[in-house]
Amino acid sequence: MFTGYNTKKRVNERYKIVGFISSGTYGRVYKAEGKNGRVGEFAIKKFKPDKEGELQYSGISQSAIREMALCTELAHPNVVHTVEIILEEKCIFIVFEYAEHDLLQIIHHHNQPQRQAIPAPTIKSILYQLLQGLVYLHRNWVMHRDLKPANIMVTSPGKVKIGDLGLARLFYKPLQNLFNGDKVVVTIWYRAPELLLGSRHYTPAVDLWAVGCIFAELLSLRPIFKGEEAKMDSKKMVPFQRNQMQKIVEIMGMPSKDRWPLLTAMPEYPQLSSLAAGNSRFHRPQGLENWYQTCLKNNQYPHGPSPETPGPEGFSLLQQLLEYDPQKRVTADNALQHPYFTVHGIPSENCFQDSKIKYPVRRVSQEDNDIRTSSLPGTKRSGLPDDSILGRPAKRLKEG
Amino acid sequence: MAASYWDSTQRKFWTFTKQQLALERKKIEESERNLVNMYPLPDRRHLSIHFYQQLTKMARPLAIRQQALATAQVYVRRFYTKVEIRRTNPALVLATALYLACKMEECPQHIRLVLAEARHCWALDTSFNDISKIGECEFTLISEMNSQLILHHPYRSLAELQTQFLLTMEENTLAWSIINDHYLTDLPIIHPPHVIAITAISLAVVCKPTQGGPQLHAAGLTTALQTLTNPRNAASQGSQNRVLKLVDWLAESNVDIEAVVECIQEMISLYEVWESYNDKACKDQIAKFVKARGLDK
Repeated sequence: MFTGYNTKKRVNERYKIVGFISSGTYGRVYKAEGKNGRVGEFAIKKFKPDKEGELQYSGISQSAIREMALCTELAHPNVVHTVEIILEEKCIFIVFEYAEHDLLQIIHHHNQPQRQAIPAPTIKSILYQLLQGLVYLHRNWVMHRDLKPANIMVTSPGKVKIGDLGLARLFYKPLQNLFNGDKVVVTIWYRAPELLLGSRHYTPAVDLWAVGCIFAELLSLRPIFKGEEAKMDSKKMVPFQRNQMQKIVEIMGMPSKDRWPLLTAMPEYPQLSSLAAGNSRFHRPQGLENWYQTCLKNNQYPHGPSPETPGPEGFSLLQQLLEYDPQKRVTADNALQHPYFTVHGIPSENCFQDSKIKYPVRRVSQEDNDIRTSSLPGTKRSGLPDDSILGRPAKRLKEG
Repeated sequence: MAASYWDSTQRKFWTFTKQQLALERKKIEESERNLVNMYPLPDRRHLSIHFYQQLTKMARPLAIRQQALATAQVYVRRFYTKVEIRRTNPALVLATALYLACKMEECPQHIRLVLAEARHCWALDTSFNDISKIGECEFTLISEMNSQLILHHPYRSLAELQTQFLLTMEENTLAWSIINDHYLTDLPIIHPPHVIAITAISLAVVCKPTQGGPQLHAAGLTTALQTLTNPRNAASQGSQNRVLKLVDWLAESNVDIEAVVECIQEMISLYEVWESYNDKACKDQIAKFVKARGLDK
């Protein structure tokens, strides 16, 4: 009889939950061990229902559907591997391979107790692997759209893996307007200027800007453009991220029509001139090169050609990644061809190669060990109204 | 062709040979022998036509794009290669497939709106009393498809190839509608999308959309097939050059010509079968097992 959904797999029969790792807007992530013949460690992401304490099936959110479909479809050594997806009584679990570290945690470790730079070969290997994962995604028409240090996993043997495809989307569909629906994408510090300026036709180049920001953060151990987010107002209008744009301009200088011909076509273009008013730093920006040299000096990377410094090649690549014009910004494919990756030999497949630094293991808390019943506070991913259908409700709804 | 199709779950897990498909279907029918004997069903293509008409009825007021309809049709076809139809309420499966397809094709519809349209379509069906039915069926659909939801449709191949063949507007429209029609057959789970696109282009070029608009008939297609397989005897001199060009291109490319011919034959027999389509008969035969078995409760 077709009486309803029959769970075929049960998460508790297959995995033993070791502890709780983190929670986000999407739900919660647990660390687990295989059970009944399954070996290894895993990270299990449990999606939260749309409403708290949801007791009935109410339809899966579009971002969860996207993530499930993409995770099933994609397979690459530099993209977090999806082991399986379990649908069990109103809950969705995605089982991933486990990664002991992530870039946020690595950066954090170098910030304390005494500031100590990340070894240049480690950074180079991280970037090299990250870009390979990105080439794969882009070749498969997938934009990640939320690249940031917390989403880049690193395994104990030093393999870098792109994680969290919760915002990723296929971009080949020519009929759809990518702007429509979800208007806010990418954590603000890593958000590309064309997005800040309201572009409706954004491209995989947004991911490369984020890679540039991550590169800069690995070098300096601080976010390069640490703006304050302007919240959505009561009318749910997406505000212009004035402060974030300011941070970019303070280092990079004002974007110009000469270097970025489509600049004036950006919806928020008129806002740019008001940014400059009364702010002297706009006329005397620090300049990326200056920022870079200061950063190398502060973090005591050696002078002169050596694998122990990112050197002038590092600057050249950074500059190509943090290019204002998305059409001129380097692609993932071309970035991999950059001399930065060849000048001292091909980077290692293991980003910890020859590094003596011991990174702490991922913190796992014991507070919440019951993956089946744990309560799920909060709401779905905020600022992403992609599942709510704006438009008018159909008239027939009332008749029903 | 985007590299992604060759590594896709569609190619790896959801493309069958005719024999495999027949075997799978026999297996699920055998497992429900009694049901199958008790409730005979019309030709599978007639059922598909009926399903398509129901989907269109739901989709029209919501202005749902053709590609989402196509995705929903493939989901339904995949689902019924794994689950015996007489164990399901097809109305619920169709509404759910459409709801899911809209999310995957980036034109999401609120579950309540889909529910409202489904109620409108199947006025007498009591299963559509709340959204949780669709929500639960969504779990079943995704689970049976192993979360493999990304589809590669021939529309994109058509768009890529149309400039190469310098298709006229009319030819392009005709090719597009042939692609729409192929979802009524098993072709989308047998052949890769570019083979379907080339089939549609070949037919469109050879048939030439005439005065009557892009209306296809089995007889016309049979002539078309003869033209394609033997272009130098083509009756109409005007089209001969283009047909020759197409045949030459096919010969030089790596496209599996046998597969294209097979697709054309399949389309011909679809249009033949279509002539005897009876919507009421389909509806009644489905209603019989749904009512008798209380699947709408």
